[in-house]
Amino acid sequence: MPITPTKYAITTRQSANWSDAKRRVFALYRRWLRSTPEMQSMYSLPLPISVIRTRIRQEFERNRFVNKLPVVDVLLTKGHADYQETMNFWRQTTHMMSYFNEESFRGAKRLPSSFIDGFLQGRN
Amino acid sequence: MSALRITTASAARMLRTSNAMMPSVMGAAQRRALSDSAEPARVPSVESARVPEKLAKEDSPLATPKRNSPDYNVPIDKATSTWTPVPKHIQNGSEEGILSAAVVSGAPMELQARTVRIFLPSKPATQSSNSRVLWRMDWDVLEKGHRWENELMGWQSSGDFVQGTHLTFRTKEEAIQFAEKQGYEYFVQEPNQRHFTPKAYANNFLYSPKKLKIVRTK
Repeated sequence: MPITPTKYAITTRQSANWSDAKRRVFALYRRWLRSTPEMQSMYSLPLPISVIRTRIRQEFERNRFVNKLPVVDVLLTKGHADYQETMNFWRQTTHMMSYFNEESFRGAKRLPSSFIDGFLQGRN
Repeated sequence: MSALRITTASAARMLRTSNAMMPSVMGAAQRRALSDSAEPARVPSVESARVPEKLAKEDSPLATPKRNSPDYNVPIDKATSTWTPVPKHIQNGSEEGILSAAVVSGAPMELQARTVRIFLPSKPATQSSNSRVLWRMDWDVLEKGHRWENELMGWQSSGDFVQGTHLTFRTKEEAIQFAEKQGYEYFVQEPNQRHFTPKAYANNFLYSPKKLKIVRTK
Protein backbone atom coordinates (compact mmCIF):
# COMPACT_ATOMS: atom_id res chain seq x y z
CA MET A 1 0.00 0.00 0.00
CA PRO A 2 1.40 3.39 -0.86
CA ILE A 3 0.00 4.94 2.34
CA THR A 4 -0.28 2.87 5.48
CA PRO A 5 -3.33 4.22 7.35
CA THR A 6 -1.69 3.77 10.71
CA LYS A 7 1.42 5.68 9.75
CA TYR A 8 2.04 8.61 12.10
CA ALA A 9 -0.63 7.23 14.43
CA ILE A 10 0.02 7.74 18.14
CA THR A 11 -1.79 5.70 20.77
CA THR A 12 -3.86 7.77 23.14
CA ARG A 13 -2.44 7.95 26.61
CA GLN A 14 -2.88 10.02 29.70
CA SER A 15 -0.11 12.24 30.96
CA ALA A 16 1.20 11.22 34.35
CA ASN A 17 1.81 14.80 35.49
CA TRP A 18 2.44 18.29 34.19
CA SER A 19 6.06 17.73 33.27
CA ASP A 20 5.05 14.66 31.27
CA ALA A 21 2.38 16.70 29.52
CA LYS A 22 4.85 19.48 28.85
CA ARG A 23 7.26 17.01 27.29
CA ARG A 24 4.53 15.60 25.07
CA VAL A 25 3.40 19.04 23.98
CA PHE A 26 6.92 19.99 23.00
CA ALA A 27 7.34 16.72 21.11
CA LEU A 28 4.15 17.36 19.17
CA TYR A 29 5.19 20.92 18.48
CA ARG A 30 8.53 19.79 17.15
CA ARG A 31 6.82 17.22 14.96
CA TRP A 32 4.71 19.91 13.35
CA LEU A 33 7.60 22.30 12.88
CA ARG A 34 9.93 19.70 11.40
CA SER A 35 7.35 18.61 8.84
CA THR A 36 6.45 22.09 7.71
CA PRO A 37 8.61 22.02 4.54
CA GLU A 38 7.06 18.71 3.58
CA MET A 39 3.54 20.11 4.16
CA GLN A 40 4.34 23.13 2.08
CA SER A 41 5.38 20.98 -0.86
CA MET A 42 2.60 18.40 -0.44
CA TYR A 43 -0.21 20.93 -0.44
CA SER A 44 1.50 23.53 -2.63
CA LEU A 45 1.01 26.24 -0.05
CA PRO A 46 1.96 29.64 -1.51
CA LEU A 47 3.37 30.80 1.80
CA PRO A 48 6.86 30.85 3.24
CA ILE A 49 7.65 28.16 5.77
CA SER A 50 8.10 30.77 8.48
CA VAL A 51 4.51 31.92 8.07
CA ILE A 52 3.22 28.36 8.34
CA ARG A 53 5.31 27.82 11.45
CA THR A 54 4.02 31.02 12.98
CA ARG A 55 0.49 29.84 12.36
CA ILE A 56 1.23 26.50 14.02
CA ARG A 57 2.70 28.38 16.95
CA GLN A 58 -0.42 30.50 17.13
CA GLU A 59 -2.62 27.41 17.36
CA PHE A 60 -0.52 26.07 20.20
CA GLU A 61 -0.57 29.43 21.97
CA ARG A 62 -4.35 29.47 21.80
CA ASN A 63 -4.39 26.68 24.37
CA ARG A 64 -1.68 28.07 26.60
CA PHE A 65 -3.91 28.75 29.57
CA VAL A 66 -5.37 25.29 29.96
CA ASN A 67 -4.83 24.20 33.54
CA LYS A 68 -6.45 20.79 33.52
CA LEU A 69 -4.48 17.70 32.57
CA PRO A 70 -7.35 15.77 30.94
CA VAL A 71 -8.05 18.72 28.66
CA VAL A 72 -4.38 18.83 27.70
CA ASP A 73 -4.50 15.10 26.97
CA VAL A 74 -7.45 15.52 24.65
CA LEU A 75 -5.77 18.42 22.89
CA LEU A 76 -2.63 16.34 22.44
CA THR A 77 -4.66 13.49 20.97
CA LYS A 78 -6.33 15.85 18.56
CA GLY A 79 -3.02 17.44 17.66
CA HIS A 80 -1.49 14.08 16.82
CA ALA A 81 -4.57 13.08 14.85
CA ASP A 82 -4.42 16.30 12.86
CA TYR A 83 -0.76 15.68 12.18
CA GLN A 84 -1.52 12.21 10.92
CA GLU A 85 -4.27 13.50 8.66
CA THR A 86 -2.00 16.17 7.27
CA MET A 87 1.02 13.98 6.62
CA ASN A 88 -1.01 11.13 5.13
CA PHE A 89 -2.40 13.55 2.56
CA TRP A 90 -5.94 13.06 3.79
CA ARG A 91 -6.53 16.78 3.65
CA GLN A 92 -6.55 19.14 0.71
CA THR A 93 -4.92 22.46 0.03
CA THR A 94 -8.16 24.21 0.85
CA HIS A 95 -8.17 22.78 4.36
CA MET A 96 -4.64 24.00 4.97
CA MET A 97 -5.29 27.42 3.48
CA SER A 98 -8.40 27.92 5.61
CA TYR A 99 -6.06 28.48 8.54
CA PHE A 100 -4.73 31.63 6.93
CA ASN A 101 -6.75 34.79 7.17
CA GLU A 102 -6.10 36.29 3.78
CA GLU A 103 -8.03 33.43 2.18
CA SER A 104 -11.28 34.49 3.83
CA PHE A 105 -13.58 37.25 2.77
CA ARG A 106 -12.55 40.25 4.86
CA GLY A 107 -9.58 38.33 6.20
CA ALA A 108 -8.90 39.01 9.82
CA LYS A 109 -11.56 41.73 10.02
CA ARG A 110 -14.57 39.48 10.16
CA LEU A 111 -15.41 40.87 13.56
CA PRO A 112 -15.65 44.61 14.11
CA SER A 113 -12.85 46.30 16.02
CA SER A 114 -15.05 48.51 18.17
CA PHE A 115 -18.65 49.33 18.90
CA ILE A 116 -18.79 52.14 16.36
CA ASP A 117 -17.25 49.94 13.70
CA GLY A 118 -19.90 47.30 14.33
CA PHE A 119 -22.67 49.84 14.43
CA LEU A 120 -21.65 51.30 11.09
CA GLN A 121 -21.55 47.79 9.63
CA GLY A 122 -25.18 47.43 10.59
CA ARG A 123 -24.78 44.95 13.42
CA ASN A 124 -27.42 45.72 15.98
CA MET B 1 -3.19 38.40 20.54
CA SER B 2 -3.41 38.94 24.22
CA ALA B 3 -2.15 35.41 24.75
CA LEU B 4 1.32 36.37 23.56
CA ARG B 5 1.67 39.19 26.03
CA ILE B 6 2.93 36.99 28.84
CA THR B 7 6.57 36.03 29.16
CA THR B 8 8.00 32.55 29.36
CA ALA B 9 8.81 33.12 33.02
CA SER B 10 5.27 33.97 33.93
CA ALA B 11 4.01 31.03 31.90
CA ALA B 12 6.31 28.68 33.80
CA ARG B 13 5.20 30.18 37.07
CA MET B 14 1.64 29.69 35.99
CA LEU B 15 2.15 26.01 35.37
CA ARG B 16 3.86 25.50 38.69
CA THR B 17 1.23 27.34 40.72
CA SER B 18 -1.07 25.01 42.58
CA ASN B 19 -4.79 25.09 42.00
CA ALA B 20 -5.50 26.60 45.38
CA MET B 21 -3.56 29.70 44.50
CA MET B 22 -5.24 30.30 41.21
CA PRO B 23 -7.87 32.99 41.18
CA SER B 24 -11.28 31.78 40.32
CA VAL B 25 -12.44 32.13 36.81
CA MET B 26 -15.88 33.04 35.73
CA GLY B 27 -17.68 31.38 32.94
CA ALA B 28 -19.05 34.72 31.88
CA ALA B 29 -22.60 33.66 30.98
CA GLN B 30 -25.28 36.20 31.73
CA ARG B 31 -28.13 34.77 33.72
CA ARG B 32 -31.49 36.49 33.57
CA ALA B 33 -34.69 34.76 34.54
CA LEU B 34 -37.32 36.02 32.16
CA SER B 35 -40.56 35.81 34.08
CA ASP B 36 -42.30 36.77 37.27
CA SER B 37 -40.83 33.77 39.03
CA ALA B 38 -39.51 34.65 42.46
CA GLU B 39 -36.50 32.39 42.06
CA PRO B 40 -33.31 34.42 42.54
CA ALA B 41 -30.63 34.36 39.85
CA ARG B 42 -28.34 31.40 40.33
CA VAL B 43 -24.95 32.57 41.51
CA PRO B 44 -22.16 30.06 40.86
CA SER B 45 -20.05 29.07 43.84
CA VAL B 46 -16.82 30.08 42.13
CA GLU B 47 -17.93 33.72 42.04
CA SER B 48 -17.29 34.18 45.75
CA ALA B 49 -13.69 32.92 45.62
CA ARG B 50 -11.12 35.55 46.35
CA VAL B 51 -8.26 36.77 44.18
CA PRO B 52 -4.97 36.58 46.10
CA GLU B 53 -3.63 40.02 46.88
CA LYS B 54 -0.08 39.42 45.73
CA LEU B 55 -1.11 38.58 42.18
CA ALA B 56 -1.85 41.83 40.39
CA LYS B 57 -4.31 41.74 37.55
CA GLU B 58 -1.55 41.85 34.94
CA ASP B 59 0.31 38.95 36.58
CA SER B 60 -2.56 36.54 36.62
CA PRO B 61 -3.47 35.78 33.04
CA LEU B 62 -5.59 32.89 34.25
CA ALA B 63 -8.00 35.26 35.92
CA THR B 64 -10.58 35.75 33.23
CA PRO B 65 -12.86 38.49 34.50
CA LYS B 66 -16.54 38.24 34.05
CA ARG B 67 -17.49 40.28 31.06
CA ASN B 68 -20.75 41.84 30.21
CA SER B 69 -19.51 43.63 27.15
CA PRO B 70 -18.25 42.36 23.81
CA ASP B 71 -14.60 41.43 23.66
CA TYR B 72 -13.24 42.77 20.38
CA ASN B 73 -9.83 41.14 20.78
CA VAL B 74 -10.78 37.48 20.63
CA PRO B 75 -8.88 35.32 18.17
CA ILE B 76 -11.19 34.35 15.36
CA ASP B 77 -11.22 30.95 13.73
CA LYS B 78 -12.01 29.79 10.24
CA ALA B 79 -15.72 29.41 10.90
CA THR B 80 -16.11 33.04 11.90
CA SER B 81 -18.18 34.86 9.32
CA THR B 82 -19.36 38.42 8.88
CA TRP B 83 -22.58 37.42 10.60
CA THR B 84 -20.88 36.21 13.76
CA PRO B 85 -21.74 38.29 16.83
CA VAL B 86 -18.88 39.62 18.93
CA PRO B 87 -18.34 37.23 21.83
CA LYS B 88 -18.15 38.32 25.44
CA HIS B 89 -15.96 35.51 26.68
CA ILE B 90 -14.15 32.67 24.97
CA GLN B 91 -13.20 29.62 26.97
CA ASN B 92 -9.49 29.12 27.21
CA GLY B 93 -9.32 26.02 29.37
CA SER B 94 -8.66 27.75 32.68
CA GLU B 95 -12.25 27.80 33.89
CA GLU B 96 -12.74 26.40 37.37
CA GLY B 97 -15.59 24.12 38.29
CA ILE B 98 -16.60 23.11 34.78
CA LEU B 99 -15.13 21.00 32.07
CA SER B 100 -13.92 23.33 29.31
CA ALA B 101 -15.66 21.49 26.53
CA ALA B 102 -15.46 24.41 24.14
CA VAL B 103 -11.67 24.07 24.06
CA VAL B 104 -11.62 20.41 23.08
CA SER B 105 -14.81 20.01 21.14
CA GLY B 106 -13.56 21.78 18.05
CA ALA B 107 -16.82 23.71 17.82
CA PRO B 108 -16.61 27.10 16.15
CA MET B 109 -15.90 30.07 18.33
CA GLU B 110 -19.12 31.56 17.03
CA LEU B 111 -21.19 29.27 19.22
CA GLN B 112 -19.71 30.91 22.30
CA ALA B 113 -20.81 34.26 20.98
CA ARG B 114 -24.42 33.27 20.40
CA THR B 115 -26.97 33.60 23.17
CA VAL B 116 -28.92 30.51 24.02
CA ARG B 117 -32.36 30.34 25.66
CA ILE B 118 -33.22 27.49 28.01
CA PHE B 119 -36.96 27.12 28.38
CA LEU B 120 -39.78 24.68 28.83
CA PRO B 121 -42.03 24.71 25.77
CA SER B 122 -45.64 25.50 26.59
CA LYS B 123 -48.44 23.00 26.43
CA PRO B 124 -49.74 22.53 22.90
CA ALA B 125 -53.21 23.95 22.41
CA THR B 126 -54.17 21.01 20.26
CA GLN B 127 -53.88 18.46 23.02
CA SER B 128 -54.99 18.19 26.62
CA SER B 129 -51.69 16.95 27.95
CA ASN B 130 -50.83 18.50 31.29
CA SER B 131 -47.33 17.15 31.50
CA ARG B 132 -44.41 19.24 30.35
CA VAL B 133 -41.79 16.89 29.17
CA LEU B 134 -38.44 18.24 28.03
CA TRP B 135 -36.48 21.44 28.53
CA ARG B 136 -35.32 22.96 25.32
CA MET B 137 -32.21 24.95 24.39
CA ASP B 138 -32.68 27.26 21.47
CA TRP B 139 -30.30 29.72 19.81
CA ASP B 140 -31.24 33.34 19.53
CA VAL B 141 -31.70 34.72 16.07
CA LEU B 142 -28.68 36.44 14.47
CA GLU B 143 -28.84 40.20 14.11
CA LYS B 144 -27.61 40.09 10.58
CA GLY B 145 -27.51 37.11 8.31
CA HIS B 146 -30.45 35.36 9.87
CA ARG B 147 -32.43 35.23 6.69
CA TRP B 148 -32.51 36.90 3.31
CA GLU B 149 -34.12 36.23 -0.02
CA ASN B 150 -32.06 34.15 -2.39
CA GLU B 151 -31.56 35.82 -5.77
CA LEU B 152 -32.08 32.66 -7.75
CA MET B 153 -35.51 31.49 -6.65
CA GLY B 154 -36.58 33.81 -3.88
CA TRP B 155 -36.13 31.07 -1.31
CA GLN B 156 -34.94 31.88 2.17
CA SER B 157 -31.18 31.80 2.56
CA SER B 158 -29.55 31.92 5.95
CA GLY B 159 -26.06 32.44 7.26
CA ASP B 160 -26.97 30.76 10.53
CA PHE B 161 -25.98 27.13 10.88
CA VAL B 162 -28.05 26.56 14.00
CA GLN B 163 -31.14 28.10 12.48
CA GLY B 164 -34.12 25.97 13.38
CA THR B 165 -32.21 23.54 15.59
CA HIS B 166 -32.63 22.92 19.29
CA LEU B 167 -31.41 20.61 22.02
CA THR B 168 -33.55 18.88 24.60
CA PHE B 169 -32.77 18.06 28.21
CA ARG B 170 -34.63 16.24 30.92
CA THR B 171 -34.07 18.90 33.58
CA LYS B 172 -33.23 22.59 33.72
CA GLU B 173 -30.02 21.90 35.63
CA GLU B 174 -28.77 19.57 32.93
CA ALA B 175 -29.37 22.24 30.33
CA ILE B 176 -27.54 24.85 32.40
CA GLN B 177 -24.60 22.52 32.96
CA PHE B 178 -24.37 21.86 29.27
CA ALA B 179 -24.45 25.55 28.40
CA GLU B 180 -21.78 26.35 30.97
CA LYS B 181 -19.62 23.47 29.82
CA GLN B 182 -19.76 24.56 26.21
CA GLY B 183 -19.22 28.20 27.07
CA TYR B 184 -22.55 29.43 25.73
CA GLU B 185 -24.09 32.68 26.86
CA TYR B 186 -27.39 31.46 28.20
CA PHE B 187 -30.47 32.66 29.99
CA VAL B 188 -33.20 30.60 31.58
CA GLN B 189 -36.81 31.38 30.85
CA GLU B 190 -39.05 30.02 33.59
CA PRO B 191 -42.29 28.43 32.40
CA ASN B 192 -45.57 30.24 32.93
CA GLN B 193 -47.82 28.65 35.49
CA ARG B 194 -51.38 27.89 34.55
CA HIS B 195 -53.92 29.86 36.54
CA PHE B 196 -56.95 28.17 37.91
CA THR B 197 -59.77 29.91 39.76
CA PRO B 198 -61.78 27.54 41.96
CA LYS B 199 -65.43 27.90 40.96
CA ALA B 200 -68.66 26.50 42.31
CA TYR B 201 -71.96 26.86 40.49
CA ALA B 202 -73.78 27.20 43.81
CA ASN B 203 -72.01 30.51 44.37
CA ASN B 204 -74.25 32.06 41.74
CA PHE B 205 -77.19 31.70 44.11
CA LEU B 206 -75.66 33.08 47.27
CA TYR B 207 -77.86 35.49 49.20
CA SER B 208 -76.59 39.02 49.41
CA PRO B 209 -78.45 41.91 51.23
CA LYS B 210 -76.79 44.47 48.98
CA LYS B 211 -76.21 44.25 45.24
CA LEU B 212 -75.64 40.78 43.92
CA LYS B 213 -71.98 39.73 43.80
CA ILE B 214 -70.39 39.08 40.46
CA VAL B 215 -68.26 35.98 40.67
CA ARG B 216 -65.42 36.33 38.27
CA THR B 217 -64.94 33.05 36.56
CA LYS B 218 -61.73 33.78 34.69
